[in-house]
Amino acid sequence: MNQTATSIEYMVVAASREIADGNLLMVGTQWPMLAAMLAKRTHAPDCVMAFEGGIIYDQLPSRTPLLTVDPCYLSNALFCGGTLDTMGALLHGGRVDLAFIPAANVDRYGNVNTTYRFDDSGRPIRMSGGSGGACDFASLASKLIIMMEHDKRRFQEKLEYITSPGYLDGYDSRLKAGLRPGTGPWAMYTTLGRFKFDSKTKEMYLDGFFQGVTVEQVKENTGWDLKVSPTVEEIAPPTAEDIRILREVIDPLGMWSDNLRIKWRTQPTQA
Amino acid sequence: MTELGGGEMVKQNKLMSMREAIEEFVKDGDTVYIGGFIRQDAFSAVHEIIRQGKKDLTISSAVGVLFPDMLAGAGCMKKVITAYGSNPMPRPAHAFKRALEEGMPRKVEIEDHSVLSLSLAYFAGALDLPFIGCQTIMGSGMQAGDPSAESRFKIIESPFDGRKVCLVPPIKHDVGILQVQRADSSGNGQSWGVMGDTVYGINSCKKVILCVEEVVDKDLIRSDPNRTVIPGIKVNAVVEEPWGCHPFFMPGYYDIDWDYLVYYEQATRTKQGFEEYLNRWVYGVKDRKQYMKLVGEEIMQKLAVGKRMSGSVNYGRYNPWEVYLA
Repeated sequence: MNQTATSIEYMVVAASREIADGNLLMVGTQWPMLAAMLAKRTHAPDCVMAFEGGIIYDQLPSRTPLLTVDPCYLSNALFCGGTLDTMGALLHGGRVDLAFIPAANVDRYGNVNTTYRFDDSGRPIRMSGGSGGACDFASLASKLIIMMEHDKRRFQEKLEYITSPGYLDGYDSRLKAGLRPGTGPWAMYTTLGRFKFDSKTKEMYLDGFFQGVTVEQVKENTGWDLKVSPTVEEIAPPTAEDIRILREVIDPLGMWSDNLRIKWRTQPTQA
Repeated sequence: MTELGGGEMVKQNKLMSMREAIEEFVKDGDTVYIGGFIRQDAFSAVHEIIRQGKKDLTISSAVGVLFPDMLAGAGCMKKVITAYGSNPMPRPAHAFKRALEEGMPRKVEIEDHSVLSLSLAYFAGALDLPFIGCQTIMGSGMQAGDPSAESRFKIIESPFDGRKVCLVPPIKHDVGILQVQRADSSGNGQSWGVMGDTVYGINSCKKVILCVEEVVDKDLIRSDPNRTVIPGIKVNAVVEEPWGCHPFFMPGYYDIDWDYLVYYEQATRTKQGFEEYLNRWVYGVKDRKQYMKLVGEEIMQKLAVGKRMSGSVNYGRYNPWEVYLA
């Protein structure tokens, strides 16, 4: 096996290390599911995942899940209820340690847009599904982790629409909007590195970069003058075991990591 | 809610065909809740709504996968209330986008919510509350994005502890459509699997069409009442519709037809392609049986799930008072 990690694997492995053993996680779709499952198989075997539809789950599913309600989660779940059980009593109830969401666009204060962009005439164009539960994760989690493939177009100085609130306009604007103290983005992981948020201004800064990536490269690929931590460091790379577990156990067909879910059969059987 | 008393509503035989149920209970201009949270969306009912050419519907669903696309493309829908509207493969929902962005074949308005705010709005609707408070959605585009959003959510300071709270008005529905695993002929419906917003949503409906994989004897329902998610007292029609949620799934019955989701996305990229899809899969069949013939035995066998039975529980038999008084 080629043990050179892909940029997606760097992102997933680094994000999974935010998870401590025993943590209760709210897990969004896409990369967050891989990060949570990896943590479960490595350093945090007793972490527990909760999903927006009402499942609480502490196993590895029988196949790589493609949805947070993928039926494979029904086998061996600990709890199967409704949205007000997980999003309500756990997340809104303040019981969740970490929440993970994927993002389409993000701005310097960690606000996320997955709903609309606007064309030249100001007409809204629907980007993807909308909030789902992401706005709730971002509003209520004490520590929100954002995961996104790094692309300059995705890093926008000012978003056109906020699906999931980060620190809004920075400083205390999140609190002024009514969101709870002690909530908000904790870190963001991209395919280039790790970003954190200034404790006063709440502006995002580069905190760490992956092996083979330079600070200049990250700055060039960000849509504003990105601040850099004076202690910025290279992030420890994935271990051979991390890569093996991701490739052989968690996503052996590459449904997520090789985008097989998108490339799935160019000639469908129903045509 | 109904002219029948409660006693009649739990006993009455409400079995009817999908065509009869949609004809009788879904009216043009209705606000229609579609339950399921991806898993059990009643696609057969959605196709019958399209076949009957219902108009000006407001469709409400926490997670609208593909059925808002179908209803928008067929011109049945004027508005959708949802937290998510797409093809979860993930691929674009083309007809939905055409309706939202180009008004084709008709303009569709969207009311964006988050999963939690919408579940709470349904819960408030079910309890007939004037509003319900929460601390999500504040500062997002859904709450602060446009004038209509600001009339939908209101932020106040709690009269009890001064904390800011977002008030969400209730959402109620003229009719709700839900598919579950099984029910008796009066609509005491049992379900297992992810419930999402389903219970709150269906409880906020004046009328309910309950579609089921199987109609079962009332005694089976009574043997495990904890599994009943909707009491027959709220149900107006029971439709036995095996495979009614294809291409999505029914726990214990069939898996998601992932291939079909890809096929649908590819087939509906143009307006003409969408119409051809409807001609083949909706207008071209008279009911779900014919639709499943098009899907084909081979695919149905692949999607059918194996058995993994739950344990059973003891509800107990309780001593008459004589035992304690002796």
